[in-house]
Amino acid sequence: MRRFRYFKVFAGGVILVGLVVCGVAAPLLAPFDPQEQRLEARLQPPAWSGVHWLGTDNLGRDILSRIIYGSRISLLVGATTVILAGVVGCFLGAIAGYFGRGIDEIVGKVTEIFLAFPFLLLAIALMAFLGQGIVNIILALMMSRWVQYCRVVRGEVLSLKERDFVTAAKALGGKDFYILLRHVAPNTLPSVTVVATFAMAIVIISEASLSFLGLGVPAYIPTWGSMLSEGRSYMSRAPWLTIFPGLAIFITVFGINLLGDGLRDLFDPKLQRQ
Amino acid sequence: MKKSARGLSRRQFLKSTAAAAAVTAAAEFVRDAFAATRDRITIYHSSVADSLHPYKHSSSPIYGQWQHIFEPLVEYNYKRKDYDGVLAESWQFDGKRWVMKLKKGIKFHNGAPLTSKDVAFSIERMKDEKGGSLQGSNFKDVTEIQTPDDLTAIFVTKQPLAIFLDRLENRFIINKGAVEKYGADWEQHPVGTGPYRFVSYQRGGNFVFTRNDDYWGGKASVKEAVFKKVTEDAARLAALEAGQCDFINNVPVHEVARLERHPRVKVDKVEGLRMFFLAFNVAYKPFDNKLVRQAANYAVDADSIVKNIFEGIGYANQGPVGVNVVGADPKLKRYPYDPNKAKELLAAAGYANGCDVKLYYSSGRYPKDTEVCQVVAAQMAKGGFRVDLVSQEWAIFWETTGVNGGKLPFYYIGRGSLTDADTLYDQYFRTGTTKRTGYSNADVDKLVDEEQKTPDMKKRTAILQQAGKIIMDEAPFIPLYNLADIYGMAKNVNWKIRPDEKVLTWDMAVK
Repeated sequence: MRRFRYFKVFAGGVILVGLVVCGVAAPLLAPFDPQEQRLEARLQPPAWSGVHWLGTDNLGRDILSRIIYGSRISLLVGATTVILAGVVGCFLGAIAGYFGRGIDEIVGKVTEIFLAFPFLLLAIALMAFLGQGIVNIILALMMSRWVQYCRVVRGEVLSLKERDFVTAAKALGGKDFYILLRHVAPNTLPSVTVVATFAMAIVIISEASLSFLGLGVPAYIPTWGSMLSEGRSYMSRAPWLTIFPGLAIFITVFGINLLGDGLRDLFDPKLQRQ
Repeated sequence: MKKSARGLSRRQFLKSTAAAAAVTAAAEFVRDAFAATRDRITIYHSSVADSLHPYKHSSSPIYGQWQHIFEPLVEYNYKRKDYDGVLAESWQFDGKRWVMKLKKGIKFHNGAPLTSKDVAFSIERMKDEKGGSLQGSNFKDVTEIQTPDDLTAIFVTKQPLAIFLDRLENRFIINKGAVEKYGADWEQHPVGTGPYRFVSYQRGGNFVFTRNDDYWGGKASVKEAVFKKVTEDAARLAALEAGQCDFINNVPVHEVARLERHPRVKVDKVEGLRMFFLAFNVAYKPFDNKLVRQAANYAVDADSIVKNIFEGIGYANQGPVGVNVVGADPKLKRYPYDPNKAKELLAAAGYANGCDVKLYYSSGRYPKDTEVCQVVAAQMAKGGFRVDLVSQEWAIFWETTGVNGGKLPFYYIGRGSLTDADTLYDQYFRTGTTKRTGYSNADVDKLVDEEQKTPDMKKRTAILQQAGKIIMDEAPFIPLYNLADIYGMAKNVNWKIRPDEKVLTWDMAVK
């Protein structure tokens, strides 16, 4: 049981590290310029022995190179959104849980408002309002993702603040923010890590969805979502245009979910006792 | 526990589910087996009217939809290469006057007879650009419309206008009485003389017509026609293959071979009259500079686009209009693809470090438009431009905030049903006709004026060729290509294919 748990963390970790390597070292790994069009070589099927391992797309661009470069957007948007949403969500959740009363009430209502929106719909509306661009996509996804952190952290803080060590810290004259930062916050980290990993998976899918709908980053930047979108009219003629970016999204999200799952199992005190 | 308390037993539930599934499956089967019927034909089209204002557009496929309800005075016959009368019985070109005689006995859908008053009223509506019409420029030379009797309309023009019949094409006649009766609400009640009557319209939804059984001409064989706007190529195709619709336009060329093997679907092609081009608005920098416009012409390789993106089902235009258009000059050659020359010209124009431009288009409007624009951007990048692509919803792209308001400096567009160079030159390059290009050249204006009053075709062609030469040199646009129009339809639909992108249901027969 325990070994399997480590396996999940390990496998998920390997996939995530692979993704990071792809993103960081894209110019070294990619065999071609992802933007370079070679119309005379369009729609070439995948060939392991040939020039284009995963084939070329409808404009003769190398699909492997585009997938490698596409990982940058997924990573960038995924990581930044998760961190920003985490900071905002954790902060609001912590003060709401710790101070309670009015602040809790206000934060609670705001989270409910955000939760009432279907997530992707909110992101689409925000993108339509803000316009295309990486910063805007991160903002839009962050706006719809911070709520999860907020709720989890608030719940954790609510129970943590009643614990003896917090009472002890108070008795010793600790100030509220000192206690929150020093004694309460570190104890929420395991849950936050798990929320963050799952959020990353969701954010990557959302970015792909928005790019698929043409609301994501500008068209000239290769992303997995826009590759799917551009390739879909060639589904019957050249399925590799959609299969490979689809696989890339699938493997990435699968890996991150595996990691999150494994981390949750590790941090869960109930499971640890078994 | 009693059975009744749980509502349904498991067995009952399974039984009814199975029955429901069987019925659904059978219904699917029936739909698949019969495809199109004489009762109704469903057409998924990439462009369908964006409003119920019959004059708030100028687009061939949309003319085709309105033509179900309304009719024009004359219509071009592509076989005869001349005009046929529709509502007009005969016409006479008499100096500064065009005398049109209407056919007798034609009735509107509300029973009112067609009179010359309706004609004059309709033209006035078209000229009313504040009222939303985008067709007014066709009558800018018409000073007066006289209606001496019920069946005679006389158009008086500033100067003799030889090409006036071309201006009357697709100018539909509405019923004066109905418009006056419904007042501000008139758009909701389209009353025409056409072979179909209006049933319903939802923007982005269905545009529905039903057969007019009292039609003055030949009776249509299909009872009901439904047009639906579906801009996604793949979605239209999937719908056709699934039997959800019976007819689609713009079949992507790479799917033709597969569709031809389909058991229920067939494909039909015709050389299209639409000419595609990249238009500049010379009122904006950097396109006010002729060198920049020429550089852009050198930087775009239309042949490569036709050959690779469209798999050769078209041809690049060598002059401002395609070879088969009246007024084309067989001696003209397009700017050869030469990115280095483009860079030189840009440097001479003061853009040695490259030139930033935005290329606007409306994704899904024309075949493979997104791909074309991506290729153009890449080609132009080699010629020293930095191209940012902006895709807009058609209504935004086209209306007063876009092309027709003269707000877009550089855009991808097609001019449909182009049979005479005059149409393009007058609409795009004559001073003051449109804000689309902001182009003005006294020599071109003079030649267009001259050509328009010349009834002799040979002389007219020569004048048009002269204008073409100037336009080519001045490069107010980048001519691209004509393509084949490819339609897909259920196998049991027989349709007389047209080169002008109009889908007319009365030209269809269902076996």
